[in-house]
Amino acid sequence: MLVTDEPQVPSESPPVATRRTRRWPFRPNLPSLGEGKVAYLFLTPWFLGLLLITLGPILASAYLSFTDYSLIGAPEWTGGDNYERMLSDPRFFQSLKVTFTYVFVSVPLQLAFALALALVLDKGVRGLAFYRSAYYLPSLLGASVAVAILWRQIFGSNGLINTTLGAIGFDNLPGWVSTPDYALGTLIVLNVWTFGAPMVIFLAGLRQIPRMYYEAASVDGAGRLRQFVTITLPLLSPIIFFNLVLQTISAFQTFTQSFIVSGGTGGPADSTLFYTLYLYQRGFGNFDMGYASALAWVLLLIVGGLTAVNFLASKYWVFYGDD
Amino acid sequence: MAVTVSACGGSAGGDDGTVTLRMSWWGSDSRHQLTQELIDAFEAEHPGITIEPEFTGWDDYWDRLATSAAGNNIPDVMQHDTRYVREYADRGALLDLSEYIPDTLDTARLDPAVLSTGEVDGATYAIPTGINAYTIVADPKIYQQAGVELPDDETWSWDDFIDTAAEITRNTPNNIYGTQDIGFVETGFEVFARQHGEAMFTEDGELGFSDETLAEWFRIVIKSRDRKAEPRPSLSVETHAGGVDQALVGTNKGAMGSWWSNELPTLTSSTGHELKLLRFPGESQEQQAGMYYKPAMFWAASSRSEHPEEAATFINWLVNSPEAAEIQLSDRGLPINTKLREQIFDKLEEPDQQAGEFLKEIGPDLTDPPPLPPPGAGEVQDIMLQLNEQVLFGQLTPDQAAQRFREQASAAIG
Repeated sequence: MLVTDEPQVPSESPPVATRRTRRWPFRPNLPSLGEGKVAYLFLTPWFLGLLLITLGPILASAYLSFTDYSLIGAPEWTGGDNYERMLSDPRFFQSLKVTFTYVFVSVPLQLAFALALALVLDKGVRGLAFYRSAYYLPSLLGASVAVAILWRQIFGSNGLINTTLGAIGFDNLPGWVSTPDYALGTLIVLNVWTFGAPMVIFLAGLRQIPRMYYEAASVDGAGRLRQFVTITLPLLSPIIFFNLVLQTISAFQTFTQSFIVSGGTGGPADSTLFYTLYLYQRGFGNFDMGYASALAWVLLLIVGGLTAVNFLASKYWVFYGDD
Repeated sequence: MAVTVSACGGSAGGDDGTVTLRMSWWGSDSRHQLTQELIDAFEAEHPGITIEPEFTGWDDYWDRLATSAAGNNIPDVMQHDTRYVREYADRGALLDLSEYIPDTLDTARLDPAVLSTGEVDGATYAIPTGINAYTIVADPKIYQQAGVELPDDETWSWDDFIDTAAEITRNTPNNIYGTQDIGFVETGFEVFARQHGEAMFTEDGELGFSDETLAEWFRIVIKSRDRKAEPRPSLSVETHAGGVDQALVGTNKGAMGSWWSNELPTLTSSTGHELKLLRFPGESQEQQAGMYYKPAMFWAASSRSEHPEEAATFINWLVNSPEAAEIQLSDRGLPINTKLREQIFDKLEEPDQQAGEFLKEIGPDLTDPPPLPPPGAGEVQDIMLQLNEQVLFGQLTPDQAAQRFREQASAAIG
């Protein structure tokens, strides 16, 4: 879809735009500036931002990852020591384990939830706009500090869940956020709960599928499930792919939830030690910015690698309808 | 870009010849208020100096200070802690205050044993604000409710501690416990190690205890858990994370807990009745006493301060001025200035006075405070917290945890 459309648009539209601009009475007196240059002018603020606020620190961290840098003194070049150190760092592996578990469990669950809800809403529910907003709301709130605090209360020893379960006769319940076996689970639930953003995208995707396919299929006697598998899924696959890539990347970057719920420790017993949280602890808590920078680059490689795998695999299951 | 950089540049002097000092501290709301009073009083006395306050809670404080250090932008005057003084001093971030002693900064009346804890290799990088001690806080009301006698803290042993706490849990309703878990904070173990003639850190900044001593400490934690002297692990984790505000002794849910003596007023006001300070168990039963006067916190100045003279003047005023002492009373520990300590004693609120009496009473039995711990000591507290959790949840045996501690702590201070 994207691949075939793109080359066409630029080849046709510039002449149109140029003609229009020439007639414009208030055109600034800059005859040497072509269309492209004006565009660059307007892009400058964004470009400066990218250069100074994003690219600068990225390059700085690449350099710092090869140094011993305590934040207080000057960085000292140590070559690949930081990268080597990871291999013998048990907490690095623990943070990988926690993060991968989180990504591989919560992303599929979240997408399945989002798709299921989108299918229901697509069938034409009365008050669709209301439900759409209501389900979207958690996506806006999910990464916030307030919700993380709420989560800690709800899943605490004397929280809402245990009070409710206690009232119907359960006894001796653990604090869900403060028991190593369950703490990560509560954060996965939190992420699944924020299914609204992918749901809205799914809903838009479902609306794009021409109704006539379904009509034709039902004339041919295909049932609901058959229709879903042979029409909805293939035609929705670019959208599923888009959501999958986006949600995977954002799940790898999860920080706030575990930082707040565990009080910044990644506890209990390192069970919610997300990669980003460990990175933060090393860099800002333990005067180890060189190592933290190396961790950041490894994360970049992991996320980049997984995204590449996602794109390669997409050739086999994503159907763009034009090939 | 130039604009951005200079905007971050921080505090130069005002145009009218006044000097502006940035000052930072961590603490609770009540400390923020009284520190603002301190600032107002100082400014009234020194019209040429303006103080710009910056304050946060404990955890954010250190993240924030480290980040400003990276930008060469730490405040002129900072509240500091034993765990971090060397971290900053060794890397040249702190001003050597010796140059300003005694002309600007008068140390004549400051308690010499405690004053020396702010020194590294003969240079004075930090001035202690006052003293406190790590103690056991007990709630006599819950003891009474359980029908258990308060222990004689001059003779009680670690076994007595667990027995007493377990009995209280048994004799009280379900949600009341004998003690809060005492294994999360490394200072508890430090006292224990000192009782065995060892130390957390040696003078040379190495680990100063044997694996067996630490394993023994974790065994006490396990015993306390198994005999239900303390709540189940998940509740212990939550209670500890809640800090002093959610302490079991402060919320009438527990008979004991380990706290700093200057936390007594906060605990007392949240329970609503009088609490009692006890010595650590084992003080007379083990090889030697392990408790000590700890510098409650420090005042330190930035080595990059544009106004070091004024910063030293301000620190001098904070520790030596009667007015300052009367405003802070014992919020930053019982004053290090021994004359002022006497002077404000009668003005202290009931729990503060009680803490003061306690410190006086145990004074003769105490051993010298340990030297400043090496850089990395801040991380050692995180390691202890994390390993204590793993021990509580049965993921590590005491011996395994002791070995892990050695590996991780050595790496942190190495």
